[in-house]
Amino acid sequence: MIELVHLEKRYENSVPLADVNAVINDGEVISIIGPSGTGKSTLIRCIDLLERPTGGKIILDGEDICASGYDVTQARRKMGMVFQSFNLFGHLNVIENIMQAQIDILKRPKSEAYATGMKLLRRVGLTSKETNYPDELSGGQKQRVAIARTLAMDPEVILFDEPTSALDPTMVGEVQSVIRNLANTDKTMLIVTHEMNFAKAICNRVFYMDQGGIYEDGTPDQIFDNPQGDRTRRFVRRLKVLEFTIDGPDFDLAGAETEIGGYCSQNDISSRAKYRINLTFEELAYHILRPVIEYAPVHIAIEYTEKDESTEITASYGGEKFDPAESGDGFSYIVLQSTVKSLSHQYNPDAEQTNTIRVLI
Amino acid sequence: MKINKYVDPTGQMRLEKKSVAVLTMNLILVLIAGVLSACSPGAEVITSPDQLNRGDAKIGVATDTPEFALVEKRFPKAEIVYTQDLMGALTSVAQGKIDAFVGNKLNMELAIYNGLQGVRLLDGTIGEGNVSAVAISPRTEIPDLKGKINEFLKQIKKDGTLDDIRSRWIDKRDMVMPNIAEAKDPKLHLVVGTTGLSEPFTCYVNNELSGYDVELAKRFASWLGASIEFKIYDYNGIVPAAQGGDVDCIFANLYVTPEREKALGFSDPTYIVDVGIIVRDAGSQNGGGIAGFFSSVKESFEKTFFTEDRWVLFAVGIGTTLLITVLSIILGTLIGFAVYMVCRNGNRAANAVTRFCIWLIEGMPVVVLLMILYYVLFERIKLSGVTVSVMAFTLIFAAAVFNMLKAGVATVGTGQMEAAYSLGYTDTKAFFNIMLPQALRHIMPTYKAQIKNLIKATAVVGYVAVQDLTKMGDIVRSRTYEAFFPLIAIAVVYFILAAILIWIVNKIEVRAIQGADLPEMTRRRARSNDRAGTS
Repeated sequence: MIELVHLEKRYENSVPLADVNAVINDGEVISIIGPSGTGKSTLIRCIDLLERPTGGKIILDGEDICASGYDVTQARRKMGMVFQSFNLFGHLNVIENIMQAQIDILKRPKSEAYATGMKLLRRVGLTSKETNYPDELSGGQKQRVAIARTLAMDPEVILFDEPTSALDPTMVGEVQSVIRNLANTDKTMLIVTHEMNFAKAICNRVFYMDQGGIYEDGTPDQIFDNPQGDRTRRFVRRLKVLEFTIDGPDFDLAGAETEIGGYCSQNDISSRAKYRINLTFEELAYHILRPVIEYAPVHIAIEYTEKDESTEITASYGGEKFDPAESGDGFSYIVLQSTVKSLSHQYNPDAEQTNTIRVLI
Repeated sequence: MKINKYVDPTGQMRLEKKSVAVLTMNLILVLIAGVLSACSPGAEVITSPDQLNRGDAKIGVATDTPEFALVEKRFPKAEIVYTQDLMGALTSVAQGKIDAFVGNKLNMELAIYNGLQGVRLLDGTIGEGNVSAVAISPRTEIPDLKGKINEFLKQIKKDGTLDDIRSRWIDKRDMVMPNIAEAKDPKLHLVVGTTGLSEPFTCYVNNELSGYDVELAKRFASWLGASIEFKIYDYNGIVPAAQGGDVDCIFANLYVTPEREKALGFSDPTYIVDVGIIVRDAGSQNGGGIAGFFSSVKESFEKTFFTEDRWVLFAVGIGTTLLITVLSIILGTLIGFAVYMVCRNGNRAANAVTRFCIWLIEGMPVVVLLMILYYVLFERIKLSGVTVSVMAFTLIFAAAVFNMLKAGVATVGTGQMEAAYSLGYTDTKAFFNIMLPQALRHIMPTYKAQIKNLIKATAVVGYVAVQDLTKMGDIVRSRTYEAFFPLIAIAVVYFILAAILIWIVNKIEVRAIQGADLPEMTRRRARSNDRAGTS
């Protein structure tokens, strides 16, 4: 059990953690979400004492591990940490990465360390990479080795610091499935993540962090589908709906497409649907709405609904009536119309954004 | 048949390779010969000193000698050029870089007598000759040393010993050092500074320090009832050494000059040196083409290494150079590492002190650091030149090791350290087991380069009376009157020494990697695994 009591961490210019209070029970799998800069990583780094808290207490199994004189390596032996950037030891190959700490710290005989290492490699599906060096592995493989390395130390608590955010979207799945398997064991886990569906699937508790503390603490259903606080609601909406504004012809459209890609993988959107979303966006932004972009900002919102696996793309803009069915690039319009479920235009002279195009995929 | 077919071409290949190598060698030698003979623009043949008194004439004199005043008086129009040593000066004259050199006529006669080509001594002398005498350190602990030397000189003048010494060394050029009985039960200890660079006054004959002045010194010690110890400097370092009390007196055919008289005491004259003029001899060119060149190389080789077993001097020099280098590498590595460990966790005071020391060490030319240690810091406790050299180069190497470690560990990155912490490593264990092995991969290439730098840098230890390889080369050069060959030989030896040291470091490095504490089974297929399919 970990108790956080008025935990505080200040730097010279910022206070990522002002007052954090929580009780983490054994076996809980907690996902920590929140806007960037709200101290999610700082929190779990404090728990592992990689950062020294500037105030408050962390009570691990009844002992205050921040107290002066406490042997921090004792606390760290009970916990394991998986880093965003893997941090595999570059001079050791895969199996040595897993064995070294067992030999150095747990004083296991080499044969036992090797056996444990191979067992864990099997568990993360990488026995074939036993003697490869980290720089020969893909990001996803590296992270799986890093998880195996952590598990080899038999930690009671595993801390994941954005384990998939440095990965290529195609490799997120393999790492998530390894973590998902871990969630079924009785280990306590804290995961800093932005993948909502992943969090929903494996966690029994979610911390939404904001304003220097745990702003909202609840079950995944509560946080993601029925958030109580204003900030939580706004944040969760942003996870569900991707919004941005094309504010002129110089807008970074390629960057927007990358964002769409990230949004799709975050929401587990199938590759076919992803292709369609991209296509729709391209037709809208590069062809159909090209004349509008010249004179008015265009607001784009993409929202995916899990139930019927449909996606709605809304483009709204001001100015006089511009119905792409009547004016503009007619060919693109016809192409788009033939690939989507529905495509409609509305003109409301009283609204702030007078024109709205809705595309349902 | 088949086998023959395969063997033959290989044999030819080898032959071809060999002849290519020989050709290349020849080409290099011819090039060198070309460069050497190229420095001979046709110039007016100088037969009388009066021809030198013109505006475009360059006349060389040795630094810190009375010749400067002589030349200024005799050739007011000519430009005066300082030269470091006699050999350098004579070579400059032979190559036409300077028009003449004014110096110790006896030295120059001997150089020509010993086969120096391309120069000619003009008849006659200039001035009234330079007075040379024994210089006495103001800090000697032997009471009234000057008085005793003068008394000794008077006595040997009277009984004819001085004339005998003179006739053997100077007139007959015997170059044989007589046996002089050492004092029994010495009550005093006489430390004599000399150079070994001025034939026939102080030079190495059959690898023994010999000469007119050396014999005088030995006879004096015997007369005084003192044990004797020689320390070797070059002419630039010997006066400061006596001034600092490093030696009691100097027996080195040292001229009495007003500047020196301010710093040191001088005995009555031991010898009056005639001053002569040497000029380029346009008539004697290195004729005989390539064949002549080869035979002269062969001759040089013999003169440099085999005559009087001079290779022994080189061997001793190599030993000293290696001793200083190896000790400095070992101590420097240990100290640099220890200091890094103290500073590693950001202790402010330790870091500030270290930064200051490194700034000091790295900011100074090596020679200056060496001289400061020898003549200023450790002047009182009289440490040997080798000890001080080891200290200086240890400091320099330690500073380099410290910087290498700092940079090397920084490249590994803090992520590795955090990963180790999170696995339960203590700070020290994480550093030694995780950080250092990775940092070493970045450090080793620089470390090896530093070793090469160090071994070359030790060439300056001659300044503090250490006879290393370079210094031995100077000593040999002062007898063979060869500028070119000993220098090339020394360069080659430095290359070889560096290669040997690097080879040893490589051996240690490989062993350290092989001896890592993980089981063999995890290494077996390492790296040989196919790298495909990793993406």
